[in-house]
Amino acid sequence: MVTQSAAIADQFSLRLTFILFVSVVVVTLFTALLTAPQRDEISEFYLGNRDMSPLRNGLAMCGDYVSAATLLGSTGLVALNGYDGLLYLGGTMVAWMMVLLMVAEPLRNSGKFTLGDTLALRLPQGQRSVRLALALCTLAVCLLYLVAQLVGSIALLTQFIGDPSPTTRAMCVVVIGSMVVVYAAIGGMPGATFIQVVKAVMLVAGVAITAVMVLQHFSWNVDRLLSTAADNSALGDRFLEPGLRYGGTTTNKLDFFSLQLAIVLGLAALPHIMMRLLAPRSTRVLRGSVVWAVGLVAFVCLMAGVLGLGATAIVGRENIAEVDPRGDAAILLLAHKLGGAVLEALLSSLAFITLLAVAAGLTLAAASSLAHDLYSEVIRKGKAKQTEELGVARLAAVVIGVMGMLLALLSWGTSTATLAFLAFAIAASAILPAIVYGLFWRGFTARGALLSLYGGLLCSVLLVVFSPIISSQPNSVYPDADFAWFPLQNPGIVSIPAGFLLGWLGSVTGGRGQDATSTDAFKEFEVRALVGTDQR
Amino acid sequence: MSQHHPPHGGYAPPPPTEYEPAGSQAIHDDPEFHSLRRAYRSFGAVAALLSVGGFLSYVLLSSFAPALMNQELFGRITLGLALGLVQFLVMAVATWCYVRHMRERVDPLVLRLRAQQREQERAQEEQQARVAAGRRFRAW
Repeated sequence: MVTQSAAIADQFSLRLTFILFVSVVVVTLFTALLTAPQRDEISEFYLGNRDMSPLRNGLAMCGDYVSAATLLGSTGLVALNGYDGLLYLGGTMVAWMMVLLMVAEPLRNSGKFTLGDTLALRLPQGQRSVRLALALCTLAVCLLYLVAQLVGSIALLTQFIGDPSPTTRAMCVVVIGSMVVVYAAIGGMPGATFIQVVKAVMLVAGVAITAVMVLQHFSWNVDRLLSTAADNSALGDRFLEPGLRYGGTTTNKLDFFSLQLAIVLGLAALPHIMMRLLAPRSTRVLRGSVVWAVGLVAFVCLMAGVLGLGATAIVGRENIAEVDPRGDAAILLLAHKLGGAVLEALLSSLAFITLLAVAAGLTLAAASSLAHDLYSEVIRKGKAKQTEELGVARLAAVVIGVMGMLLALLSWGTSTATLAFLAFAIAASAILPAIVYGLFWRGFTARGALLSLYGGLLCSVLLVVFSPIISSQPNSVYPDADFAWFPLQNPGIVSIPAGFLLGWLGSVTGGRGQDATSTDAFKEFEVRALVGTDQR
Repeated sequence: MSQHHPPHGGYAPPPPTEYEPAGSQAIHDDPEFHSLRRAYRSFGAVAALLSVGGFLSYVLLSSFAPALMNQELFGRITLGLALGLVQFLVMAVATWCYVRHMRERVDPLVLRLRAQQREQERAQEEQQARVAAGRRFRAW
């Protein structure tokens, strides 16, 4: 049964994919080398070109956010589960509202290079331990998400050559991983930004063209698209009704809600998105950038919904499930049916580039946090020189890349979605409380920050360890053991309130001795966060 | 969240610390700063609650009240699918309102406060320059 999940692409399409992928990689790698920080300036490595237009910033944000899991996984979810998949896409999009409305502007005004800088300004006492905790949470989120991308590359490769042998698998991860390291370590933020923009333009164009072809196929009649999809799903009306995937028991429904909560709240705390928010020099440019990002992401999500429904309508649900039970092949099968080998090659090279770009952004975010928060501020206590910090940042990018590759090779069988969802849950339950309290609550203390960061991290990881993902189910990691006392697969519904509660508890129970200075620090911070300055 | 600023009973000005430029104290006590804070926070909180809370309740309704969401409106479009499209609309409207609110209510206040901040900084610098010049003179 080795070739069962096989090779949906023919030779021509495979070659074309390869050529397209390699040419984009070559162009972006050269640009990354050319635009790499020249003058050993640390702010350029962390933030890149700070004078980019709102459109380009927005494209880069969209590029950082829409991962291959969204492109392949969500369309697959829609193709297999109809309504529930569409709901999932909705969460992906609504998440940006939290960023735009609550976090973006105060964070940029008060931030410098990393989230740690913002919290250090807010909580000058005990800033080192807060930075350490934040660096750990950042590392956990980034590594999980990075491993998800690399594991995704194996899954994508499977679409082309059937089940890969262990050597091919290792090759694939090592090649993609090394490119990621080159982008992040040498190119820094300018290199990562360039590949994000290229990827986002390709992504928007790719999904738009394919969606137009789908709609053309149904002569722009959405009703016909819906009814054909329902008919070809072999499920009839149930396809367009909620509950196909997350229905049935209350546990399932709560699980879905828990997932949505983590997605909607987690985005506003993902380290690589936060770093992008800090780049623009003026608040006005930042606002324009985030508005562009909201629009672009909403557009991509809408088109992904059309593509998923189109895949079911044109290819048929059973054919999709036969090639890949998780549905990741849906968009490629659809492209093959609609536009032949050329369109399929275009979309699959797009998927590979998406993987690469998101992984590069993540590696960079983790490396910045390690070099700036952990090395420069905690270990060297703020005395490190810029060249030294830059060297550490490059080294950290290599280390994180290698760690990601090793972990991806160890856990290649895990579902990408599980890893990504855990990353979102950690971000939402550990990092988000610290950001929200830090920005808006006068009584927040370093103790509260530590409790919410460590507590949220531990809570979400432990709940996953004791969930059906790890044991008790036939498809869990240890199917034979049974220590799954937590019934949900997504810890968000418990761990997010827990993170907020711990942050509050730590702040109110801590000593009130340092009141005068901490009130002053808060006043100073609040003025910075709301009034801000346009950096020159 | 209580927005107003409690008066500090018997609050002596703190000893200046290194992370405390004198300007931000004064700005913080400015009534304009208070209205800026109110304008920023109240809108952001309400809009985020409406858009994110609206979406989450839509998810809950879909899960726990499927009969309601399955009512057909026209053709194959059920109430649930239509509400899904409404989410896009809500997002667009919220974004538009936010940009307009910030431009009309918040930005003018920010610009005025920034000008004030610059003014203070310049005054401070001048004073420092005077002091430094005086010292230099004395050192001669």
